[in-house]
Amino acid sequence: MNPGVLRGKGLVPGAARGEALVSGIAFTFAHGVDPSTGVVTDVRSDLRGKSVKGKILFYPFGKGSTTASSWFLETVRLGNNPAAIATEGVDLSAVIGSIMAKLVYGKEIPVITGITRAAASELKSGDVVSLDAAKGEVRPVR
Amino acid sequence: MHLDSAQERMLRGEMGEAKQFAMEIVSKVGDAVEADKLVPIKSAHVLAHYSSLHDAGVEVLERFANSGGKFAVPTSVDPASIDLQRWRSFGISEDYARQQFRLCDAYAKMGGMRCWTCVQYQVCNFPKRGDTVAWAESSAVVFANSVLGSRSNKITAGMDVACAVLGLTPRFGMLLDESRRAGVSFRLNLKGLSDLDFRSIGFFIGRNSGSRVPALVGLPGSVTSDQIKHLGAGAAAAGPVTMIHFPGITPGSGTVSEATGGGSVEEIEVTRSGLGDIESDLNQISELPDLVAFGVPHLSVNELGELARMFEGRRLKAGIKMYAYTSSQAYDMAKRAGISDTIEQAGGRISQSTDAEISPLKDLGFDTVLTNSAKLAEIVSSEGEIKVGYASQKEIIEKVTT
Repeated sequence: MNPGVLRGKGLVPGAARGEALVSGIAFTFAHGVDPSTGVVTDVRSDLRGKSVKGKILFYPFGKGSTTASSWFLETVRLGNNPAAIATEGVDLSAVIGSIMAKLVYGKEIPVITGITRAAASELKSGDVVSLDAAKGEVRPVR
Repeated sequence: MHLDSAQERMLRGEMGEAKQFAMEIVSKVGDAVEADKLVPIKSAHVLAHYSSLHDAGVEVLERFANSGGKFAVPTSVDPASIDLQRWRSFGISEDYARQQFRLCDAYAKMGGMRCWTCVQYQVCNFPKRGDTVAWAESSAVVFANSVLGSRSNKITAGMDVACAVLGLTPRFGMLLDESRRAGVSFRLNLKGLSDLDFRSIGFFIGRNSGSRVPALVGLPGSVTSDQIKHLGAGAAAAGPVTMIHFPGITPGSGTVSEATGGGSVEEIEVTRSGLGDIESDLNQISELPDLVAFGVPHLSVNELGELARMFEGRRLKAGIKMYAYTSSQAYDMAKRAGISDTIEQAGGRISQSTDAEISPLKDLGFDTVLTNSAKLAEIVSSEGEIKVGYASQKEIIEKVTT
């Protein structure tokens, strides 16, 4: 069965298109993603060893340190950031990191929330999707 | 989110560049979290350590400082990534120190209190019951909400400084009564709790609360604020916990029923086997470590004193370093009381104004670290570069000294 359109709510504006990278568990950039490569290093992450660079990154919730937004911003500074982020619950670190990415580095990294773990699991990592924060939706691209 | 006319002026840049930058951040975040308005804060606590802020964080803090940003409320700061007085003797490189000092200078220029600690509530930042604050540092946020009866969300890097510059924070989450009600109750019926148990209990709560606010019933009457500090840090390291209701301790929560607002909630028993699972998850080594680390979060002067008593007459085995992390203020007191001498005679050191999880342990050549901090064990083991051991202070000292 092909996944349909996933609907959530836009938190940080913008649109992006790219390969989906889907985690089924809580995620953090803090001590969890190497900003110099974009590769997930967190041993507890199901995305360990994969790069977030240019991806539409899905995870259900954020976790851990309040420094996650600055780890995220450093990936932006070095050009290794995801193209967009979609979560189930609001991850304040993603929201703040993305807002600062626009203000400091002029990069638009849309963030949407309300994409449930179950809905995201319909996607496979590597599927190409387009995300539109204004509409709050993620669409598989054929 | 509604902005009043003064706040609109800030957003338009009529009150300076720094306030405009801060208001751009805070108003956008407020919209994203569906806050209704901005409310004044009594204090702020911000992050300025190089290991997590990286060069991007240096750029952001300098942008605030160089565009005239001043903290509008009393503002404290988390530990730095280096011992600010004696960093050379800890093996920190000049390049690394330079970036940390850029952060220190920008922070000082904005008028912050130079406390460099993650336990600001034991050092210099004392909100009272009912005060709204905007604090970073997950363990301190738990303490503020659960023990002080203040109200804080877990404010992440970048947003922290923006709130401090404005003296305002969006009203959402833990500032609202309905978000603070307990949604799960943990029951503790265990005797003879060790230092490690308090940390593991917190970790157990963090793991099993999900997005619910927990309550914990059954803490012994003898519990100290230091033990609660470590319990809260364990909880915040393991999950999204920002508050724990301790009936009889937490202001406004005399009973579980007051904590839940009268509703019935799931009850979870904290068992020995549950704590044992956490210990074995966090304890990855049996060999002797390169580094023994005490104090994530920072030890109080009383805890340093206890550590010194346990080290008295002992000597660290060759090849092992032992650092006890604390604030500069507690270090000064420990020095005057002879506590630091005792620790140094045993071969250990007190490291002030920094903390293990935000210092460059790998660059300093440590491959294994042994600690009684669940927070440090969780962070270090997630990173996967350094192997970690997790044991009680007593077990550790017996293992690493002669």
